[in-house]
Amino acid sequence: MKKVRGRSSCAVEKEFVFEFNAGRHSCVLKVPLQFPIQQNISDLHGRLMLLHKIPCFIENELKTSLTNFVEKETTLDYDREAESALLRLTSGDVDVNQLTNAWSRSYEETTLEHARPEEPSWDEDFADVYHELIHSPASDTLLNLEHNYFVSISELISERDMEMKKLLERQAAEMDKVMHELGNTLSDHDVNAVASQHFDAQQVLENKWASELKQVSGIQKHEYQGWVIKLHQDLQKSHNSSQINEEIKMQPSQLSEASDSGARMFEEQPQLEESFTIHLGAQLKTMHNLRLVRADVLDFCKHRRHGSSGSKLRRLQTALSLYSSSLCGLVLLVDNRVNSYSGIKRDFATVAKECTDFHFPCLEAQLEEVQQVVLYARAQRSSKHKEQPDIQRNGDDKSKNVERNPSNILPGEFYISRHSNLSEVHVVFHLCVDDNVRSGNITARDPAIMGLRNILKVCCTHDITTVTIPLLLVHNMSEEMTIPWCLKRAELVFKCVKGFMMEMASWDGGISRTVQFLVPKSISEEMFYQLSNMLPQIFRVSSTLTLTSKH
Amino acid sequence: MRPLKDAQLGAFTFFASALPHDVCGSNGLPLTPNSIKILGRFQILKTITHPRLCQYVDISRGKHERLIVVAEHFERSLSGFQKQGKAASSEKMLQIGYEVLEGLEFMNKHGLVHRALSAHNVLLDCKGNVKLAKFGLYHMTDHGADVDFPIGYPSYLAPEVIAQGCFHPSDPSHDDAPLPSGPKADVWSLGVLLFELCAGRRLLHNIEISERLKFILTLGCMDDIVTVLAEEHGCLDTIKELPENVVELLRKCLTFLPSKRPTPAELLGDPVFNVISCHYTPFQKPISLFASSLRCAHLDLPDDISDLCKEDDDDFLSERAIDEVYHLWCLAGGDMEKELTNKDIIQSKPPVCTLPNFVLEDGESFGQCRDRSFLLDDTTVTLSLCQLKNRLKDVVGEAYYPLLEDEQSALPQSNSSNELSATVTLPLIIRERDTEYQLIRIILFDRLLKAYPYKKNLVWKEARVDIPPLVRGLAWAALLGIEGDIQAKYDSIDKDTPIPTDRQIEVDIPRCHQYDELLSSPEGHSKFRRVLKAWVVSHPDLVYWQGLDSLCAPFLYLNFNHEALAYACMSAFIPKYLYNFFLKDNSHVIQEYLKVFSLMIAFHDPELSNHLNEIRFIPDLYAIPWFLTMFTHVFPLHKIFHLWDTLLLGNSSFPFCIGVAILQQLRDRLLANGFNECILLFSDLPEIDIERCVRESINLFCWTPKSATYRQHAQPLKVAGDNSFGKTASYFSSDYQDMPNPDLSREPLALSDLKEEMSPRVSAADLIDLCELSLSAISKRNRASKPKIVAVDIRNVEDFSRGHISGSINVAFNLAFSPDGELLQCPTTGILQNYRGRVIVVISNAMQTAAMFSAHLVKVNFPRVCILDGGINKLKPTGLLTVPSPQI
Repeated sequence: MKKVRGRSSCAVEKEFVFEFNAGRHSCVLKVPLQFPIQQNISDLHGRLMLLHKIPCFIENELKTSLTNFVEKETTLDYDREAESALLRLTSGDVDVNQLTNAWSRSYEETTLEHARPEEPSWDEDFADVYHELIHSPASDTLLNLEHNYFVSISELISERDMEMKKLLERQAAEMDKVMHELGNTLSDHDVNAVASQHFDAQQVLENKWASELKQVSGIQKHEYQGWVIKLHQDLQKSHNSSQINEEIKMQPSQLSEASDSGARMFEEQPQLEESFTIHLGAQLKTMHNLRLVRADVLDFCKHRRHGSSGSKLRRLQTALSLYSSSLCGLVLLVDNRVNSYSGIKRDFATVAKECTDFHFPCLEAQLEEVQQVVLYARAQRSSKHKEQPDIQRNGDDKSKNVERNPSNILPGEFYISRHSNLSEVHVVFHLCVDDNVRSGNITARDPAIMGLRNILKVCCTHDITTVTIPLLLVHNMSEEMTIPWCLKRAELVFKCVKGFMMEMASWDGGISRTVQFLVPKSISEEMFYQLSNMLPQIFRVSSTLTLTSKH
Repeated sequence: MRPLKDAQLGAFTFFASALPHDVCGSNGLPLTPNSIKILGRFQILKTITHPRLCQYVDISRGKHERLIVVAEHFERSLSGFQKQGKAASSEKMLQIGYEVLEGLEFMNKHGLVHRALSAHNVLLDCKGNVKLAKFGLYHMTDHGADVDFPIGYPSYLAPEVIAQGCFHPSDPSHDDAPLPSGPKADVWSLGVLLFELCAGRRLLHNIEISERLKFILTLGCMDDIVTVLAEEHGCLDTIKELPENVVELLRKCLTFLPSKRPTPAELLGDPVFNVISCHYTPFQKPISLFASSLRCAHLDLPDDISDLCKEDDDDFLSERAIDEVYHLWCLAGGDMEKELTNKDIIQSKPPVCTLPNFVLEDGESFGQCRDRSFLLDDTTVTLSLCQLKNRLKDVVGEAYYPLLEDEQSALPQSNSSNELSATVTLPLIIRERDTEYQLIRIILFDRLLKAYPYKKNLVWKEARVDIPPLVRGLAWAALLGIEGDIQAKYDSIDKDTPIPTDRQIEVDIPRCHQYDELLSSPEGHSKFRRVLKAWVVSHPDLVYWQGLDSLCAPFLYLNFNHEALAYACMSAFIPKYLYNFFLKDNSHVIQEYLKVFSLMIAFHDPELSNHLNEIRFIPDLYAIPWFLTMFTHVFPLHKIFHLWDTLLLGNSSFPFCIGVAILQQLRDRLLANGFNECILLFSDLPEIDIERCVRESINLFCWTPKSATYRQHAQPLKVAGDNSFGKTASYFSSDYQDMPNPDLSREPLALSDLKEEMSPRVSAADLIDLCELSLSAISKRNRASKPKIVAVDIRNVEDFSRGHISGSINVAFNLAFSPDGELLQCPTTGILQNYRGRVIVVISNAMQTAAMFSAHLVKVNFPRVCILDGGINKLKPTGLLTVPSPQI
């Protein structure tokens, strides 16, 4: 951490001379004073009286004299500094144009009066309109409409899956046949040809479906936004709200027929979870909610089948809070490349595509933007490093890595994507981690942990009041993750998060939050309860409220 | 603070600049947010009261470094003149100039510079007098360093201000903030302002900012700036027609070189104002409560007293001080953020739209677009008082002027008084939020405190009901009996010379109640430092122990703008409640205190005491920070206030009861747990319901005989006559040590002996008092306020029949207990069981047997057991022992 540079002080020492007569003696008091005077004159006066044993009949005289002296000298200082500044200008040491431009830029960038008028942003207008509608009786219609769009996408997806399956089966059969003939009528070369033909066919089909999906969701988004704006205008125009209500109610009925038919099934996983209410802080305590959940990370994103318990409520909840100041975030652990080709990134992208995002750009577009920003950030950084070579680079291999491929991100860095189409999450933090997190000896200084801290900080500044964190910093268990490994890791993350939450209180003044700790689905029930026993030992769990009758 | 009169309350908002990410201060601690620095620096502005300045009232922090400032406000300002487009008369000009200068001169005296002087910041009250607004912005933002926007308006900036440059955080070329501006920069701005008034148009209005500033800088080459300006604006004729003295004033203000420009003070005495200066009398600062001069010295009563009541104005609320009105406005549901949002001053984007795209490992974020809602809009919004007035419309006029001489009924007799007396029974939290009730209480306390120390008794009486939060600082000072010229005393203490304790103080302050905005501000830290140093320096026999900082916190918080009072309160508090706790070797004091505390636990809750003794969880392990800091280390400030409101009314043994009350709230958990769990429990004390704690500690206090908490190291007997102001020597507020009749009082006991005992001792005097044996049988108090008591005589029957206290019962020791300490079933123990719950005073010949007997009683969970100090022998000389008359 750096230290802030102090302001340059131009302290000048001046001597205060005070003459007084005590009886027949005439005395002179000389005191060196540092200008500009920092302390209170009365304090200074009291101290002089005490230190120099000034007789009390001089007290008032000394005070007046001291006050006048300080006043006069301060004014002189001000004048001198002011005129030297003016002189610098006339002598040409400072460029007038540069100076006045700095002033005018400063006014333009910080005050409303002088700022350039704002160009209207469609996104924000839509945000306002949507926020208003979702908090009106029209919310039900909006949700149903969204759901129907979701269903049609689901249908498409299942159709695609079906077609892919068929293709694969056909190809497998063909390949079998070819293999059978191998060595008789066909050579290796022919087999390869068939294989590549198959691959191409797969690609073509996949691309076809991808573009179709993209097109459909584009159309859906367009329709939806148009419809929302129109509904809002109608609502505003019409004073007869009952009629509108009728209109709103009409729509779902015609749409809802399709609702249950083709919804893709998601297995309802038996989740394990335990909730705690904790108090943080030494004297003033703030209450927070913690939850320990055993689930798959994508469970927070997937929409459950319509009609299953609470699914509609959850959607409504997510929609209501989308433009509010209580957002929900999720930490997803990713590797160092910003894309969605493999692993959890791919799975997440699949989930994000299952339903059209009516508010934000699709994930690919967001990732493209992130890539641009990453390149920009690297450029900024390297130019800053060149400017200030005195700052030590942290780790040579790190900077080498950056130089090799500036679009890659480093452990501890994260990018953020926004979604309106996930079931319980608005904001996803893609936190970059490396293989180091699988080892057993990471510390509180680890980049992944620092990343968590920064994530919590963003949560503070952007009103994300619920955040889900993978407790073990992995999404899937593997063999080396033994019970002691889990316990050690959980303790570290619990303790660090506790520290960060206490720190957060100073950032945002102690707002109550919910932090969910997520553990992979594959850990045993026994392990889960071991972790849930550990939590109250680290956080102070508030006492259960005991209701007793008054005595 | 001044009364509101015809003024209104106004609010404006701005953002403090955000801190650079992940930077720490030189002490390794995180940096203080700029908004907190501003909040701390703002406080002093509340004390700047002058008829030409808009009174600052309050500041509050919003989300994301937003600050909202509340101040006196008027709708009319000089920009109204500009809009009319015609020039002001020369008399008006002189008047405005003079009044602005008056304000500026007063500010300069307090080390303030306006810097943001402009037409819309010079407000006019109903009589057309000048009121300067936003005069504290430059001060509270540390000369503009804590905010992103420049302070001041382009056309009004003085040339030297422009030349010194502006500090802009996004501009790396200027690392250093520009030097602060002096008072003379305001004189230039005033000149521009007056020129605009003469010309009837705005100066350099339609030119781009950088061109404007360049033009101002080029004025340095001109001989006659006023003429040049007039030519530039095509109003040379108007200027030429002005009277000579006005032009002279303009010339003096618009002097290019600061050294040639007069200061506001010099300009005030300038001959140009000769015509009008005679109409103004210099402002005299009202004398505060603790001042050396006579408070009524300048009180002029008209010959005919009825002149005072001539204005039959119905608006009594506007006669109240501005801060009172604001406080009530908030209670009546006022919400500044809402008011500002309604006027579109606060606009906010949904947070999901402003998220960054990418964050580096060190926390720097990228991809965030600049949010327009963070730009400065310094429009002041008038806060409507309608809601408050509506809320208070049923309060009759008499309620605003309660009569204090009538000691019987303090609450005014109005039709709403029934409602009020009903409010008194509600919980304190609700009372503190009740607008009408607070109005009545604030007025009452305000008047009582103005009459302090004469009305000291009434202050005590009313404080027993409750203390309104707004006046708590002064009310506490009154309860602690602060008198005299505390400011002079405080000033004369050397708070600057380094002392060895400095290091420790420096370490402790950034860890003391830092969740609070005031106390965590740099201003708060330096005040902490000064008050603590002043205390250490002025008490050479005592030393700084960690915890003194916490003790200082409530006083400093309440008297943030009055360090001397904070110091005086602390200096009065410590000898009263923590006598000799801060000795260099304080072990004997603390040891005795803790032993008495454990006796009190045994006295009030034997079951808990037995359990704690069994697991060896002694008070030394947890209670030292409680008592050394009088609970300020363990509770947040808002709880301390409620606790101390009562503590200050009790005597020095009241803290014991608070301690027992806290333990009782945790009783179930303590009883269920062993040593380790208890240590953990106290390492981070759980939430305590403070109102219940206060209620229970009062109850415990009433059950405790005064001498039971006798400590030989307590503050010695005060000199008689100290209470000359006739503090009602009520049974509970006076200390045990104040009591007369030394031969019946308790005798000091060696600490080692004290540690052996299980039950507290009470003095003979107490026993006589409580059993009402006294010969002068006129009981001053009603019986209800005294604990029920039973004297248990454990001597054998023969001794008992030879003489005993009337009303005492005889339970011979050997008959009551089996050898293994069980209570035997027999008629005498039955009687004892019947009296369970009363205070049981064990009387015997020898102290040892009494102690043993009481220890047994405590073992079998008898509450409220104590021993008569000195045994029956103490009572013999009094002649109070009676012999039962032979039964007929």
